[in-house]
Amino acid sequence: MFYIVGLGLGGPKDITVRGLEIIKGCQRVYLEAYTSILSCGTEALEEFYGRKLIVADRDLVEQGADDILEGSLNTDIALLVVGDPFGATTHTDLILRAREKGIKFQVIHNASILNAVGCCGLQLYSFGETVSIPYWTDEWQPDSFFDKIVNNYCNKLHTLCLLDIKVKEPTLESLTRKKKEFMPPKFMTVNEASKQLLEIVSRRTKAGEKPSITGESLCVGLARVGSETQQIVACSMRCMSNYDLGGPLQSLIIVGPMIHPLEIEYLEQFRLKQ
Amino acid sequence: MVNFTVDEIRVMMDKKRNIRNMSVIAHVDHGKSTLTDSLVSKAGIIAGAKAGETRFTDTRKDEQERCITIKSTAISMYFELEDKDLVFITSPDQRDKDQKGFLINLIDSPGHVDFSSEVTAALRVTDGALVVVDCVSGVCVQTETVLRQAIAERIKPILFMNKMDRALLELQLDAEELFQTFQRIVENVNVIIATYNDDGGPMGEVRVDPSRGSVGFGSGLHGWAFTLKQFSEMYAEKFKIDVVKLMNRLWGESFFNPKTKKWSKQKDDDNKRSFCMYILDPIYKIFDSIMNYKKEEYEALLPKLGIQLKHEDKDKDGKQLLKVVMRTWLPAGEALLQMIAIHLPSPVVAQKYRMEMLYEGPHDDEAALGIKNCDPNAPLMMYVSKMVPTSDKGRFYAFGRVFSGKVATGQKARIMGPNYTPGKKEDLYEKAIQRTILMMGRYVEAIEDVPSGNICGLVGVDQFLVKTGTISTFKDAHNLKVMKFSVSPVVRVAVEPKNPADLPKLVEGLKRLTKSDPMVQCFIEESGEHIIAGAGELHLEICLKDLEEDHACIPIKKSDPVVSYRETVSEESDQMCLSKSPNKHNRLFMRACPMPDGLAEDIDDGKVNPRDDFKSRARYLTEKYDYDITEARKIWCFGPDGTGPNILLDCTKGVQYLNEIKDSVVAGFQWATKEGVLSEENLRGVRFNIYDVTLHADAIHRGGGQIIPTTRRCLYACLLTAQPRLMEPIYKCEITCPEVAVGGIYGVLNRRRGHVYEESQVAGTPMFIVKAYLPVNESFGFTADLRSNTGGQAFPQSVFDHWQVMPGNPMDPAARTYTIVQDTRKRKGLKEGLPDLAQYLDKL
Repeated sequence: MFYIVGLGLGGPKDITVRGLEIIKGCQRVYLEAYTSILSCGTEALEEFYGRKLIVADRDLVEQGADDILEGSLNTDIALLVVGDPFGATTHTDLILRAREKGIKFQVIHNASILNAVGCCGLQLYSFGETVSIPYWTDEWQPDSFFDKIVNNYCNKLHTLCLLDIKVKEPTLESLTRKKKEFMPPKFMTVNEASKQLLEIVSRRTKAGEKPSITGESLCVGLARVGSETQQIVACSMRCMSNYDLGGPLQSLIIVGPMIHPLEIEYLEQFRLKQ
Repeated sequence: MVNFTVDEIRVMMDKKRNIRNMSVIAHVDHGKSTLTDSLVSKAGIIAGAKAGETRFTDTRKDEQERCITIKSTAISMYFELEDKDLVFITSPDQRDKDQKGFLINLIDSPGHVDFSSEVTAALRVTDGALVVVDCVSGVCVQTETVLRQAIAERIKPILFMNKMDRALLELQLDAEELFQTFQRIVENVNVIIATYNDDGGPMGEVRVDPSRGSVGFGSGLHGWAFTLKQFSEMYAEKFKIDVVKLMNRLWGESFFNPKTKKWSKQKDDDNKRSFCMYILDPIYKIFDSIMNYKKEEYEALLPKLGIQLKHEDKDKDGKQLLKVVMRTWLPAGEALLQMIAIHLPSPVVAQKYRMEMLYEGPHDDEAALGIKNCDPNAPLMMYVSKMVPTSDKGRFYAFGRVFSGKVATGQKARIMGPNYTPGKKEDLYEKAIQRTILMMGRYVEAIEDVPSGNICGLVGVDQFLVKTGTISTFKDAHNLKVMKFSVSPVVRVAVEPKNPADLPKLVEGLKRLTKSDPMVQCFIEESGEHIIAGAGELHLEICLKDLEEDHACIPIKKSDPVVSYRETVSEESDQMCLSKSPNKHNRLFMRACPMPDGLAEDIDDGKVNPRDDFKSRARYLTEKYDYDITEARKIWCFGPDGTGPNILLDCTKGVQYLNEIKDSVVAGFQWATKEGVLSEENLRGVRFNIYDVTLHADAIHRGGGQIIPTTRRCLYACLLTAQPRLMEPIYKCEITCPEVAVGGIYGVLNRRRGHVYEESQVAGTPMFIVKAYLPVNESFGFTADLRSNTGGQAFPQSVFDHWQVMPGNPMDPAARTYTIVQDTRKRKGLKEGLPDLAQYLDKL
């Protein structure tokens, strides 16, 4: 049997009881460590689960699926995923592969940022399409996510922006070489994300457009949701671009134009006092 | 006994209209360096008597020993024209009023094809070229190559017929035959010029014409030379005709009847060709009387010609006397310097039409205008064309031309390498110039500053530039265009130190070697081998020797030379190739197909290039190659290196976010075209079409990490399904030999897969020229083989000509190409065997 187990967001103890039982009974347990991270670190997890974990980086999960699945026809193998297994879309491919090989599988769900984001008081019902904001490089500066944010905004919806994380990402130069060199880990913060958004706003304005998102648009920054050090702040995008929310992981919400009175009331507690 | 000082030269440098920057170019052994001696001796650096023997510009020991120029060498000379000669300079931009002196910066360049890159570097910094042709051998392959290069760089040529002494003494040609020979050479040269230059173009008419004085005749070895101007001056008074008018009459179909004293355009019984009568006859007489020891005859003749011998020369006879007499009568330096000053353009004239060829930036910015006007007060723009080793090991002078502004010792400047793009920081250094220097053959002299239009060297810049670059003080300056070489580094050897502990020294030595030669490439293979790639066997031999003796100073082991191959395809991919990104959410659909014949060469020549306006480029491709116009408009890129002869076309319809992955696809394309699927050689002549793309909804999941490797895999799948082939480099060989040796040549060529495409006699000589194509791979030891099979009578010149598809599918173990691929893979440390399509192709 092949299990994909969601670990939730907070820490080692956020795992479900069923999830914990499965881990204890498995032959091999992999920890997917590139689409998200737990702030507590691998050692804390190993200690709490009482067993060794194999850290699976991007190469192993994307290209070494066969290695992961090996033996799962007869024995139990688990892949642990921070948040919910289907929050980060990549893992559907793994399930498809398992299916192809006739391997039985089970999914153990858990909380994901996609639902935990409700903690800021904005209703999950009023969120539009989720977007990711990638780190820009000198050459690669995509801005298609901005159109999606604008679309959501025009449809009177909030946008949850997931912020880029780079764990063991190969450098651009080494991508075209056989020997990979990796960048130091990098996690985008709400102020970095806001700065990129403001840059797009100013580019669009220069090009003669009038984007409905501006520096004055209301944003909510969230850091380490679900953990003890969780932090939330609401302010304009321009303020956000200078606000430090501390360590990773962080997410940013661009609030829609229509806010329910109850949403306003709840957000008020996070409002940045000037 | 140097008859000018650095201070005097510095004063001259400001008189930009009186500067001539020129290179001496020719086929190997046509006598450039020897001729250059005549000029240098005129300038007073070497004694006149030694001219023709010293080869002043051959500064290296091996150059002196082999009697062959390997590196180009620059010297500055000062010289004054007489009033009667000054009237020949009519353009106000060719001379400062009241200034009789001229500063001539001369670069002597190598003639052997293997060192063509040195010629390219020399041409870049000069405005005019003295093309030397051996009148016995005529226009040869390298004459044509260098002349073509010169015209492409907008360098104005003048012609010199060298080795007249051989024509007279060895070949014993009669006067009319010699005239015919001269005329044929002039015609040949003008045909080449006309092929590559349009008379209506910015340079105007550049053809050479003896009757205007832009063609010289003489013997560099004996130190004499003349143009029609010299003879016209001698006779002008006698005939009471204007010098210029007489020059016209002294060349071509112009005949004089001494009885009737009438000129005619036609030959008849009583008249004689004026060139033979007035110019060749006196020379023939001198030769005849002196070489046949007819003392009375020449003692009577010499005073008539106004030749007065020095006392110590009177006792000489035979060849020695001949040299002295000719040299006294028609001093080579005088005639050549007049030709140079009168017919070659000053920087002021040349930079006007050269700017648009030189400058990559907008043609109306400060830098462009500075170059165009050769303005010493504009921002500095200097092009460093090569690195010259200093006596201090491992350090180099950066040698180049100041096109605009002034370069000075201690000046802070922007040093921009070839990869610099305006607005970015890559390949850019802002540093002070440690020292500016003047380079004169074997000597260098420090100089305070150097204004526009001059050639000089810089100290301290070598740390920031690999081979070439642009130096500027203008913040928004673009690069000066990178030079395009006519030869490519197709022959390579692997080197390793004999003593493994010397590896660091070898690595350092390779770095220095890369710097010191404009073209050589040094790199490390996957297998860890250090590779040196050069233009040919001789080039590599010199590079290896330099590496061993000068740069690394350690004993070196070297492999047998091998050639580079190219990978290509012969058909369209037999299926739509799909590759999925690692996260499986992005899919690329592509096919490969061969380019039509000629397109790859058009791209090599820059006729089709990434900088073109996409509309006019598409029109060209449609008209010439029958490409679909809408597809041809959507060429995403060229590769490898952004300019190579492979293209990627976007044939998709309505794919969202396509432009967001374009850069990643392009990066993957550059990678795959640089390292092909068979044996990681460059690709050539392959067109890739992207038909469809499926992308993840979210930008983060379609970044470079996902798209770049996928593009490469997809391109590899395209190649493997399109009947891959190998291409090998082919030399064009010109072999000069007597008739009896021709048979032997055929034998050698047959054994080496060569094929003769032309065989002809050199008119007026007993020599034959055999032209053949020869695979570079078969060329190792060719020269020696040829000599031993023809009793040492055949001398080949080989120059890279084209790439040719080799028959046989490299995927078929029975084919020869299979073995080549396997050998290359082994050498590069790649997995042996064949690339597996399943690794690159994904199923839907």
